[in-house]
Amino acid sequence: VSDKRTRQALAADLRALLKQSQVVDAPAELQTFAYDASFLTQLSPHPPDVAVIAGSEDDVCALLRYANERSIPVTPRGAATGQTAGAAALHGGITLSLNAMNRVLEVDVPNMQVFCEPGVVHAQLNELLAPQRLAFPPDPGSSRMATVGGMASTNAHGMRAVKYGPTSAWVLGLNVALADGRLIETGSAGSRAKQSSAGLELTKLFVGSEGTLGVFTRLRLKLMPVPSTRAIVLALFDVLENAGLAVQAVFREGISPSAIEILDARCIRAVNLYRPGMDLPEVEAMILFEVDGNPPGVRWDAERIVEIVAPLARSAEWSDEPRRIAALWEARSLIGAAVGVLRPGSNRAYCGEDLCVPVARIPETLRAIQEIGEKYRIPIATYGHIGGGGLHPGHLIDGRDPDEVRRVLQVADEIHELALRMGGTTTGEHGVGAVRAPFMEREHGPALDVMRAIKRALDPKGILNPGVIFPDTVPLLKLELPLPAAVGTPMRAAIDPG
Amino acid sequence: MAQGRGAAQPLEHDLLSEYDNMLSCVRCGLCLTSCPTYVLSGHEAEGPRGRVAMARALTEGRLELTPDLIEHERNCLVCEACTAVCPAGVRMGPIQIALRSALASSDRPSPRARLARHVAYRRAFADMATLRRLTSLLRVSQRLGLVWLARRSGLLPLVGMKDGAALLPSIPDRFVTPKGEVYPAQSRAAAPRVSFFAGCIMSTAFAELDHATIRLLQRSGCDVSNTAGQGCCGALHAHSGEVDMARALAKQNIAAFELDGDAPIVVNSAGCGAMLKEYGHLLYDEPEWEGRAKALVARVRDLSEFLARRELPLRRPVNAVVTYQEPCHLAHAQRISRQPRELLQRIRGLELREMKESALCCGSAGVYNLTNPAESRRLRDRKVANAIATGASVIVTANPGCLLQLRAGLAAEAGDVTVKHIVELLDEATAP
Repeated sequence: VSDKRTRQALAADLRALLKQSQVVDAPAELQTFAYDASFLTQLSPHPPDVAVIAGSEDDVCALLRYANERSIPVTPRGAATGQTAGAAALHGGITLSLNAMNRVLEVDVPNMQVFCEPGVVHAQLNELLAPQRLAFPPDPGSSRMATVGGMASTNAHGMRAVKYGPTSAWVLGLNVALADGRLIETGSAGSRAKQSSAGLELTKLFVGSEGTLGVFTRLRLKLMPVPSTRAIVLALFDVLENAGLAVQAVFREGISPSAIEILDARCIRAVNLYRPGMDLPEVEAMILFEVDGNPPGVRWDAERIVEIVAPLARSAEWSDEPRRIAALWEARSLIGAAVGVLRPGSNRAYCGEDLCVPVARIPETLRAIQEIGEKYRIPIATYGHIGGGGLHPGHLIDGRDPDEVRRVLQVADEIHELALRMGGTTTGEHGVGAVRAPFMEREHGPALDVMRAIKRALDPKGILNPGVIFPDTVPLLKLELPLPAAVGTPMRAAIDPG
Repeated sequence: MAQGRGAAQPLEHDLLSEYDNMLSCVRCGLCLTSCPTYVLSGHEAEGPRGRVAMARALTEGRLELTPDLIEHERNCLVCEACTAVCPAGVRMGPIQIALRSALASSDRPSPRARLARHVAYRRAFADMATLRRLTSLLRVSQRLGLVWLARRSGLLPLVGMKDGAALLPSIPDRFVTPKGEVYPAQSRAAAPRVSFFAGCIMSTAFAELDHATIRLLQRSGCDVSNTAGQGCCGALHAHSGEVDMARALAKQNIAAFELDGDAPIVVNSAGCGAMLKEYGHLLYDEPEWEGRAKALVARVRDLSEFLARRELPLRRPVNAVVTYQEPCHLAHAQRISRQPRELLQRIRGLELREMKESALCCGSAGVYNLTNPAESRRLRDRKVANAIATGASVIVTANPGCLLQLRAGLAAEAGDVTVKHIVELLDEATAP
């Protein structure tokens, strides 16, 4: 699909076919479907030929049937908060936006599960569940914008995965529209059981498949009771290596914190600039341990963590004061986009932002990331889920300096190399998308061929989200740099990705 | 008018000046669920991230001023809810002002529409004397029951009263006409001096609220200067693409208030306060004005922001259950949320109950209820339903647009819930 007439015909067909969906084909509107939060789509926006804002499961199936017959690529999209170019139409075709399918269909309190559509926003789901003292525990930093459909398709982890596991641990079943428009229900049709050993575990296969195997139209999610208390231990370290040792010491004590987050020196500085009231000492690393449960247990855990950590830290203190906890978590969850304050006029470039390494090698990895930043003269502020080994380097660049743009792309590549060298993975929780597909051959070896075989079996024509995960489907992308700072009239420069 | 601005300058000038602002958007999407139009539609082009992306593509030459772009950008309420939550520091207000300026100069309106715009922005809301004359005409028509005259005066839609003259506030007999007079403090101690920003709609259609504000400031121990030479803040102009007129009004106000030295400038309309605080950005590339604009900005205080730090002689109880609806231009544009609530809670007998989505726009948004009546009504009904659900008998707010919008919304409901400006409750509680 490319020329204007074909595009108009496609839109007309879809308008006739779909009953409860909105078909979008106006030029400016299409530009708003051209990106996610990745730096790659900032440089290389990919508007689809037509976007569909889906209104019903039937429409999703009808659309897929239509697209499959004609071999038109379909890119599913939630809130497009991903950082991997996984929701941009890299091969054109149809973008299938699911964020308006946002109804919570049923909260089954006695069976502790919820049925909802994919467009439900994570924070809104938990707000709805709160009066029942229930929660869907995976907790991404993007809770206020990310959809549960997007979380399932990327197998999002978030800050509490260290105790509660990733999204995949909490998805009991899925309605999946397959490439040819058939609808299946995984996790045993009609079941409300909380566990099952019946056959191949298809739910886990689809979770994390990034829209390459099917489109989720309904999710059955497992819930847990909300812990009655939380407390937080704030520990500050003059020496980075000690932060790593502290985490290991806490685990050895038999304590299972609900979150363990690390902020490096630059992040601490960013928090102080962004929230001047926080007034944190600017040390080499800061760790937030969160413990949850019943009040005596929480107090015991928190006090014990302080004792264990104290010999390694400059200071360690705990608090169960809800306002203090909320302020610290707010600072932590905003840090991703707020690191820009460190360098006025700069912005964060989301690339090479999600490596995960063995927990014991975190201090070493953090130092190596700083060295990469120095080599390419790009300031990097790193934070992450130290309990699971996940790190998020935030690169600060002046987006109007073409040389910095080129350099930061090299930084991303080196960080991905580093992750593999350390015995880790290029992506701990954000997914592969287009940006990490080139590393999949090295990361998986022959296992990637098994993935390819599954993909071929479920989507023989390759219409579902082509360009992600599988390296051979990624197109050559032309990068368009922003207007240089000095220009007075619009003009653009283009560089090749090589 | 300063050199280098105006019609001779290419459209891109204004957009390019906001280009760095647009590039700051890292597309994290945090703004999406704060945006009223996105919440209503679920459509990316109806959300802040989409609007910034379209503006950027337009600036880069990847898009033209297509009808869909114009529609989605104009649907923005400029409520600044996205600005308030953006962790990367993107500011929607200046982007929208630049865009609307570009749109206005590319518009080809009908002669009738051109005339209406001219009358509204270059006559009525440009010169206070003209506005007072027109509003007096409304008053006469109200007194004589000549509703048709009020309708045909063309002023009703501009003050948000398209739904009918029946909802127009009763025009008071006494306008507030700033002549530089000073109202003395009601205390024996040495009184600090404040300058009062009277506003255009506030000093005419809502003159009673201006009188109450002056009384309240006097009771709080301030000498109140009703500064001469001040006019409309220019917000309606800036948000409608009449940026040159907005700049002219800004300069008029800067010059007027400079005569009061460095006294705080107290504003009782959230929309005006937000605009006055934007003057530094509005005049950023006019070297002879930028510094003076910033000096004015440093003096501007919303009424609740100012009073929260002062003693008030709260003599009387106000026995009422109230709920507070946050004006966007207070909560988001000026980040003032806590102070109005604290002031309300100081009043004896008053119970404050929080409503759901207090900070989601009520749909008034300047002239939005005129330009986008359907969306405006959906937001209004949502707001009224959230307010009524609290069981409060009074909805308190702090902006004329919200007042009118909520009153119109309540008129469609049965029941005896009323809408008040926060100054009315404070005036009542401090009455001798």
